[in-house]
Amino acid sequence: MAKSVPVNLSAEGSFCVVTDVGEAAQNPPVAQASTGSPSLGRAAAAGLRQPIVAILLLIALFTAVSGKPLDGFLMLAVATLLIFDAARSRRQVSLTGSRNGASVAASADNRRRGPRRLLVRAAWLAAAALYCVVVGSFRRYSWPATASVVALGCLMIAIGWQGPLARRHRSGEPLRRAWLWAVVLVSGGLLELGSLLQQPHLTTDSYAHPTISALTDSVLASFPGRSAVLGGWLLTGWYLVSR
Amino acid sequence: MSSRDATIIGYLSVLTAAISLQAVAVRRRGRLPSLGQVLSHVMQSRTGRVGVIVAWAWIGLHFFAR
Repeated sequence: MAKSVPVNLSAEGSFCVVTDVGEAAQNPPVAQASTGSPSLGRAAAAGLRQPIVAILLLIALFTAVSGKPLDGFLMLAVATLLIFDAARSRRQVSLTGSRNGASVAASADNRRRGPRRLLVRAAWLAAAALYCVVVGSFRRYSWPATASVVALGCLMIAIGWQGPLARRHRSGEPLRRAWLWAVVLVSGGLLELGSLLQQPHLTTDSYAHPTISALTDSVLASFPGRSAVLGGWLLTGWYLVSR
Repeated sequence: MSSRDATIIGYLSVLTAAISLQAVAVRRRGRLPSLGQVLSHVMQSRTGRVGVIVAWAWIGLHFFAR
């Protein structure tokens, strides 16, 4: 499915819409059109080569191995959907011969004005607070907690799949020194992985080498702690789907 | 210093580095991208957007779901 995203193409901030075909169409569209439609297998392989898909597949593997098959299944499902989406987009680009050929309207700018907007926001905040209180009252790893978190996660992924909630100016320029953030994130990941591998068993915590999960167990053992962490998680999710 | 202390100091160092990067990015605009700018950049494509949101969902699953 072709999807439009707003893109800021000029330094002056002019705004236009391009068709988002995922990461699949890495080659110039004209070159693809001249070589004909790629096979489904080749298009799927292109989707598989995307770094984020590879990362999701790795997370699925490690999560399943460490005794969380549901997490692993969800990661695998999303990675598979992304591969199919990329393959379909690549074939679509190849058939139309242009990224912009199937351009559709920009993502809806659903920012509401005036008192109604405030009312809607207040309703969302109340619903979020209710979610935190109700789900926070459930025991960790219980089926009600699992169902609530899985449902919300799937809902947010579905919203995110549609595109940003609000129209935003995008810069096509590469970010300078963004690798510093990558270093920090990878360092944290490696530290966590090191602790995980030094546990007596993948599903048994180690006192000497605690993972972040083990360190947060005491906070998440109480109802207020769970509700507060759920609140932070919800706010972060809302921030992300809004971008 | 025990192994546990060293591990916790490692986590705190990573957290401190992230907060420092964000502080520098906010105070000296243009020299460093903020975390929000990096996320916006990554989330320009559908794959990036879905990938980041899935990572967020995974955190919730990891801490609360069976």
